[in-house]
Amino acid sequence: MMRKFLFCGLLLLVFTLPALAEDTVCLQCHGGQEGRLGAPVGQWQTSIHAQNGISCHDCHGGDPSDFAMAMDPSRGFIGVPAYTEVPAFCARCHLGVAEDYAASAHGQALERGGPQCVVCHGNHAVVKASIALINEQSCSRCHSYERAAQVKQTISETEATLTQLDTKIVGLHRLGIDTQKIKGELFAGRNDFRRLFHTVNLEKMRAQTDEFGQRLGKVQAQVDSIESTLSQRKMLGGLVVLLLLVAGGVAMLIRKSYHDEE
Amino acid sequence: MDDVSLNNQQRRTFLGVLLAGITAVLGAVFAWPVFRFLAPREQTGASALVRIARKEIPVGAAHFFNFQGRPAVVLQPAPGSFVALTAVCTHLGCIVKWVDDKGEFLCPCHGGRFSAEGKVLGGPPPQPLEAYVVTLEENDLVVGRAV
Amino acid sequence: MNLPKIALDWLDSRLGVKELIHQNMGGYLLPRNVNLWYTMGAVLMALFGLQFLTGILLLVYYVPDTEKAFASVTAIMNEVPFGWLFRYLHVVGSNVIMIVLLLHMLSVLYMGSYKRPRELTWVSGFTLLNLGLVFCLTGYLLPWSQLSFWATTVATDAAGAIPLVGESLVAFLRGGPSVGAATLGRFFALHVMVLPLGLMGLVGFHLFCVRRAGISQPPFGKDYQPRTFGAGFEHEHHPHGVPFHPNYTIKDLGMIFFVLAFLVAITFYAPWLFIPADALEPADPFVTPEHIKPEWYFLWAYQTLKIFPSKLLGLAAQAAAMTFLALLPFIDYGPERRPAKRPLFVTCYLLGILLVVGLSVWGHYS
Repeated sequence: MMRKFLFCGLLLLVFTLPALAEDTVCLQCHGGQEGRLGAPVGQWQTSIHAQNGISCHDCHGGDPSDFAMAMDPSRGFIGVPAYTEVPAFCARCHLGVAEDYAASAHGQALERGGPQCVVCHGNHAVVKASIALINEQSCSRCHSYERAAQVKQTISETEATLTQLDTKIVGLHRLGIDTQKIKGELFAGRNDFRRLFHTVNLEKMRAQTDEFGQRLGKVQAQVDSIESTLSQRKMLGGLVVLLLLVAGGVAMLIRKSYHDEE
Repeated sequence: MDDVSLNNQQRRTFLGVLLAGITAVLGAVFAWPVFRFLAPREQTGASALVRIARKEIPVGAAHFFNFQGRPAVVLQPAPGSFVALTAVCTHLGCIVKWVDDKGEFLCPCHGGRFSAEGKVLGGPPPQPLEAYVVTLEENDLVVGRAV
Repeated sequence: MNLPKIALDWLDSRLGVKELIHQNMGGYLLPRNVNLWYTMGAVLMALFGLQFLTGILLLVYYVPDTEKAFASVTAIMNEVPFGWLFRYLHVVGSNVIMIVLLLHMLSVLYMGSYKRPRELTWVSGFTLLNLGLVFCLTGYLLPWSQLSFWATTVATDAAGAIPLVGESLVAFLRGGPSVGAATLGRFFALHVMVLPLGLMGLVGFHLFCVRRAGISQPPFGKDYQPRTFGAGFEHEHHPHGVPFHPNYTIKDLGMIFFVLAFLVAITFYAPWLFIPADALEPADPFVTPEHIKPEWYFLWAYQTLKIFPSKLLGLAAQAAAMTFLALLPFIDYGPERRPAKRPLFVTCYLLGILLVVGLSVWGHYS
C-alpha cells in the first residue's frame, strides 16, 4: 500500500508538478494568513527572487525547515527592517548597487525620508530590473520628473542594447551554442551598468555610457561572429540539400530510362 | 527503334556520369568534416608562452611543466640565471629525471645523462636537449619559442 | 591494364564471386510493379550506416561519466571542428530512422507482406523496431542533460508497475534506486556495444529471410492472385520480372538521396526540432523541470499510462497491443493480401493509426 502511494506520488510529482521546491515553513504558515501577514506570499511568488530560488529566510533569516525556530534570532532571524535599514538589508546580497546608492543624492537623503530600494523596486513583488522602473509616476512622487527623464534618455540606448543582446544570446543557446562565457560577460556588464544608475548622477552616467557602449560592443561582436558562422553553415547546408535532391532526381531519371525500355 | 535506344543509352551514360560526379562531390563534402573532426587540434596556445612564478624554482632545483603539449623543465643552476629545456630525451623519447645531488639529468630508460644546460654527458642520446627562450619578468618566468 | 577487371577476375577464380554477383544483381529478377515502399529497407540500411558512422565519431570525444558527460557533449558542439554537424546528424538521424521504420512497417502491414511464408521476416522486423526504440532510449541518457535524466527516470519508472518484480526490475534497469552513474554506465554499454551487435545480427537475419523467401509480388493490379502453398519450401520467383540491378538498385539509391536531403535539411535548418530546451541544461537530480515529456515516438505510451487509472493496466494494455502486432502473421493468417479484399484488416489498420496518432498528439498537449 505504502509502495503504491509512494509510487503514485512520484508519478504525480514527475508528471504534473511545476519546478520542485518544497515549501518552507515560512510559506506554509504565512500562506494561510490574512491581511498584511499573508500578502507577501503571493507577491513573492511573482517575483524574480522566487524565480531564482531566493526565499523568505534568505533575506529575513530564521530556520525555513523548523516551525518552532523559524523566527528565532538564534537562527539568524532579523525580522522586518525599518525604513532606513532597508538599504543595508538588501546590501547583504546587492553590494555594488548599495555602495553607489549610498554615495548618491538619494542615499544621502535617506535619513530625511529619501527613497530607498523598496520605494522603487517593491519589497516582495520585486520584478526583474528594467528601464520601465524609471517613469513619471514613480519619480515625481518627490521631485519633478525632468532630470529623471534625462537620465532615462541617457541610459535608454544602452538598456536597449542589453535587452537585445540578452535575447540573442538566449536564442544562440537554444541552438546548442555554449553561451556560458558570453552570458557572463553580458551579466557583468549589465550589473556594472545598473550599479551606475543608482548614483543618479547624470554627468557621470553620460561620461560612462560611451565606455559601456564599447564594452557591450565587444559582446555584440562576439554574437555577430557566431551568427555569421551559423548563417554560413546554413548556406553550405542548403547547397548540400540541393545536391542531394539533384542526385536523387538524376537517379530517378536513370530509372525512368530503364523503365521506358521495358 | 535503334535510334531511340541509342539515344537512351547515351542519355543514361550522361546521367550516370552526372550522378557519379555529384556523388563524388558529396563524398568529398562529407569526408572533409570527418577528417577535420578527427585531426589533432592545435593545442590551445600552442604558440603561446608559459608563465611560471619565480619562487617555484629554487636555486639548484628543477621544475617540470608542460610546454606545447610536451614535458619540459626549467631550472635555476645559479641564482638569477634560468634555463628551460625540453624534458624529452633525444634518444627514444623517455622523460628525463633531475638528479639533485649530481646536478644533472638522467634518463631512466637507457641511462643517458645530460648536464644542467642540456649537453650530453654520457649514454646513448645523440643530441643535446633543446633549449627554450626564457625571459625574466619581475616575479615570473616566461618560457617562449625554441632558441 | 583494367585494374577493376583484374581484381574481379582474381577474386572470382578463388571465390566464384561473379556468380554471386549475378545471382543477387543482374540475374535476380523482381516483379515489374514493385512500388516506392519497397525501397524503405535500403533507405534504413543507409540511415543506420550513417548512424553508426556519426556514433563512432561522437564516441571519440564523448566521456561516459556523470561529471563529464554534459561537458564533453558541449565541447563536441562548440570546440571540436564540425562536432556540431555530427552531433546533429546523429540526433536528427535517430528521429528520421524512427519515421522510416514506421513507414516501412505501415507499408508491410498494408500489403500483407507479413503473411506466410514471411512470418519470420515480420517477427525479426518487429523486434528490430523495438530495438530501435531501445537504441533511442539508451542514447537519450548519454548527454546527461535535464531531459536525459528525467525522461529516463520516467521511462524506467514504468517497469515498477509490474507486480512482484516491478521494484527490483526498476532498480536493475537503473543499477540503483534512482538514475545515476550506474545507469549511465549500463546504458552506455547497451547503446554502444550490445544494441549495435544485436542490430547487426538481427538485420542480417532479416535480410537473409527477405532474400531467401524472395521479394513479394505487390498485391495490386487485376492479375494478382493470392499464393497457394505446398508443403515444402518455395522461393518466390519472378521469371518474367526485371533485374534487381540496375532497375531497383538505382531506385533505392534515388530514394536514399531524397531521404538524406530531408535529413540534412532538418539538420541545418531546424535541428532544434528534436532537441527540447531541457536538453541544453545539465542534469540536476534535485530539480524536476516542468512539462517533462518523452520523445514523440514514445508519446503514445506516455499518454496511455496517463489515461489508465492503474499503471499496471496501462502497461498491460500496451504489452497486449505490442504482442498482438508481433504475432500478427499467426493471427491474420489467411492468404489474401489485397487491401481491397481485407476490409476488416484495413479498418483496424486505419483505426490503429488514428489511435496512435491521436494518443501522441494528446500526449504532446497534455
